[in-house]
Amino acid sequence: MLADLRFRLRALLRRAAVEHELDEELAGHLAHLEQQWIAEGLDPVEARRRARLALGGLDQTREACRDARGTRYIEDLARDLRYAWRALTRKPALLATAVLSLALGIGANTVVFGIVSAVVLHPLAVPDAGRIVAVNGSGGPSHSFPNYRDIRDRSTSFDDLFAYRIAPMALELDGPATRAWGLIVTGNYFGALGLAPAAGRLITRDDDGAPGESPYVILGYDLWQSRFGGDPSIIGRRLHINQHPYTVIGVAPRGFHGVDVFYRSEVWVPMAMQPQVEGWSWLDSRTTWNAWIAGRLKPGVSLADADAELGVIAAQLAREHRENEGLRLSVSPAGLAGAYFREPVEAFGRGVLLLAALVLLAACVNLASLFSARIGERQRELSIRIAIGAGRWRVVRQLLAEAVIIAVLGGAAAVALAAGLLDLLSRWRAHADLPVQVAVDADWRVLAFGLGVGLLTVLVFGVVPALRGWQADPNAGLKGPAGAGPQRRWLGEGLLAIQVALCAVLVTASLVAVRGLVASFKMPVGFEPDGLAAATVELDRAGYDQARGLQFQQRALERVASLPGVRAAAWANSIPLTLDQSTSSFYTEGETDFRPANALKAMVYNVSPGFFRTVGARLRAGREFTPGDREGSVEVAIVNEAFAERLFGTVQAVGRRFRHGGGPPIAVVGVVESGKYRSLTEPAQPVVFWPAAQKYNGSTMLLARTARPEGDVAREIRDILVSLDPELPVYGTGSARQNIGLVYVPAVAAAWALGAFGLLAVMLACTGVYGLSSGIVARRARELAIRRAIGAQSRQVLDAVFRRIGGALGLGAAAGLAGILAARPLLAHVVHGASPGNPLVIAGAVMLLLLTGILSASGPARRALRLDPMRELRQD
Amino acid sequence: MTVGRQPLPQGTLDLLVLKALSLQPLHGWGIADRLQQMTGEALQVGQGSIYPALHRLERRGWIKARWATTENNRRAKYYELTAAGRRQLESEVASWRRLAALVGRVIDFA
Repeated sequence: MLADLRFRLRALLRRAAVEHELDEELAGHLAHLEQQWIAEGLDPVEARRRARLALGGLDQTREACRDARGTRYIEDLARDLRYAWRALTRKPALLATAVLSLALGIGANTVVFGIVSAVVLHPLAVPDAGRIVAVNGSGGPSHSFPNYRDIRDRSTSFDDLFAYRIAPMALELDGPATRAWGLIVTGNYFGALGLAPAAGRLITRDDDGAPGESPYVILGYDLWQSRFGGDPSIIGRRLHINQHPYTVIGVAPRGFHGVDVFYRSEVWVPMAMQPQVEGWSWLDSRTTWNAWIAGRLKPGVSLADADAELGVIAAQLAREHRENEGLRLSVSPAGLAGAYFREPVEAFGRGVLLLAALVLLAACVNLASLFSARIGERQRELSIRIAIGAGRWRVVRQLLAEAVIIAVLGGAAAVALAAGLLDLLSRWRAHADLPVQVAVDADWRVLAFGLGVGLLTVLVFGVVPALRGWQADPNAGLKGPAGAGPQRRWLGEGLLAIQVALCAVLVTASLVAVRGLVASFKMPVGFEPDGLAAATVELDRAGYDQARGLQFQQRALERVASLPGVRAAAWANSIPLTLDQSTSSFYTEGETDFRPANALKAMVYNVSPGFFRTVGARLRAGREFTPGDREGSVEVAIVNEAFAERLFGTVQAVGRRFRHGGGPPIAVVGVVESGKYRSLTEPAQPVVFWPAAQKYNGSTMLLARTARPEGDVAREIRDILVSLDPELPVYGTGSARQNIGLVYVPAVAAAWALGAFGLLAVMLACTGVYGLSSGIVARRARELAIRRAIGAQSRQVLDAVFRRIGGALGLGAAAGLAGILAARPLLAHVVHGASPGNPLVIAGAVMLLLLTGILSASGPARRALRLDPMRELRQD
Repeated sequence: MTVGRQPLPQGTLDLLVLKALSLQPLHGWGIADRLQQMTGEALQVGQGSIYPALHRLERRGWIKARWATTENNRRAKYYELTAAGRRQLESEVASWRRLAALVGRVIDFA
């Protein structure tokens, strides 16, 4: 076995030497025979003749030896590839077109695959990440902390179950405090994930002690590198989080940013410190659903097993605590907030991947028709080769070799392109202040995918021309250029029709996506985000009590309102469509049984007087809050239309009253229009606005309506806040659009992806139409020139050339539009409210296709009209 | 009675080459000479056809080659049996004998 391998390798790698040795041996043999004959008395010429006769044909012997060496197949392959390369480089334009269109087609797929792979398939950089799962609650990823303890203690499906909480923190190292995105985690967090520290130690169960007793912090690797240059002496350093002293005990491993792919954590503190970090404790509250749960499945336990067990636990918990009424629990692969983001993201990814596959298919069809035309041109050469004895298989192999070369070049170019684009994407951040960053590495999976898809395309676009090569008829081919049968003449048009159909699908999809993007930016969100500047401080976390906090808010508001160019100003704990949203339970005035089943869950905002005027929300009835709505005066609220309809059955709700928990009734003083609060795609949500002076909240987002650039005004607001208290970290400084930018990400991503696909499809269709029409003009040049010479009109010539191309275009476009209408439900996962049936969209797509066809056929058409009969007839 | 030139049955050339090499290492034409000598020129073997056979045998590791100088001071490639080649020769000879005996018995049977 080993000898065989060594021998074949030598035969392959030292081919020249092996051949040379053989020649030397044969020469020696000949000389020996010759001398024998001479010794027997023959003259040298006759001796040589007899020697050659005895040895047999030298070339046959050499060939037989090559066969015997067992390397024939590879040597032939190498020769095919060399020949194909020479044939391809003789037509550099064709080679470039083919490689480029394939590179773009494969590249688009590789980029999409890279993102899906990084976000959906492999979101976690921890050992055996496939077994890390998130526990879903009733309507999302959140759980109360007592429920977490119960689930952890009762379940047996998990090696370990940990809880964590996303929490921004004011981090004070040397200079003034800055805001860092952090996680508050239970002691088993790092252990369950199987992580080892980059320096120092990680948080362990020993840090789960009494609240406030483990003031330790883990720094993220990136933060450690950027702020401390990777200095190991950072371990043991003191720093302040929300103005409390903490000790750095370790650094998280490189590349680890937390369990969820969209949230890049920079610091971790133990759950025992939660009350201190957040200013109040929810660790024993069954009504505060702030903890996210994840864990590692035991080996051999499936998701379904875990679901079944959690179903039992959920039923128990619902019986034992009435806060858990209707509780449902299930597991999902971790990384995307359990099922909450995973389901829409997966559907989006599937839709985009499918469209990307269509781009690749269009590229393949394009190449198939390019190559098919090329075989048409080479019919004569192929016929001659078959006529002089080349096997058909050999001819086909050579044609396939061309396809393989193009596929490999295209695949390599695609992977390079994709790696560049993915790198660019990894650097992108939605907004400097948001902890969202998608880190996509072009890893081996991406590389393998790109090259694998490249080779797969060979099968698609290499087969058609290979079949034509197989069928090459030496008789017909040698008789002349007009020998193509009727069936072959339709091949080009058929391929073009397929290409146009794919193009129609992709162009329509891209128009739908662009329309969706425009629509989502125009979509009324219940307030006017343009011309609104904002900056935020967290007063609770800086140790402010209610009295000092309220005073700070009033003084800040006064100074912001007096900024030049500010028409209105207000503050609120948060604005709709940002990450920071909270909900609470409300009841009708007459309710006595305050169970969750009887409650209306609504989102809550604490807003200052003038808030609605400032953000541009329209009051349907009633009044804004005034300075008179202060602590001690009658408790009032403003609700949105959805709340009024759900609780009172009418939007005429001013003067009506409702209850918040078991407290006294609260009077509605205003009704505001419904808007969007969490996402652009949600149905109308009920919302309650509290007067900030009656229901104090330390989170303070200062807002200013202005005609000046929002960024400038926002920086002035920040300066005011800093001048009032230099210790306060200010974040979210910028326009309201920037602060709510995340909700536009799906529409922007869809528009980019589908727009790029549409553009690629149009480019491919252009080369397809151009290639086919210029091929026809070239093939029929003589005939057309004669027609022209005997008096055919321009229109008749064009008709002769382009009638069938036009037919293919029309047929393809119709099929494509029918296809996209049928695929509407799928498209709806990618573009919210997708409307491919919209007349504007269809008209736009048809116009685009028409324009594509006309523009790309105009060159060949001009050539057809300018044919010179004399020159065409003189050929051959 | 005339002795005609006998064509070589498929696959037996390899065996003959192994046998030729079993006494001493030989170069290409040495093997050809030895074959002629052993068969009394009764076998019809194109001398060139031993070279593919040599390549085949070398690939299987039954013979190995090295360059050396002949008695006439010419450079030549000498082939010799390996241990595996020797075993192969023995087993092929044995199976050939069994086959020949079997065929002989069948032919003599009637």
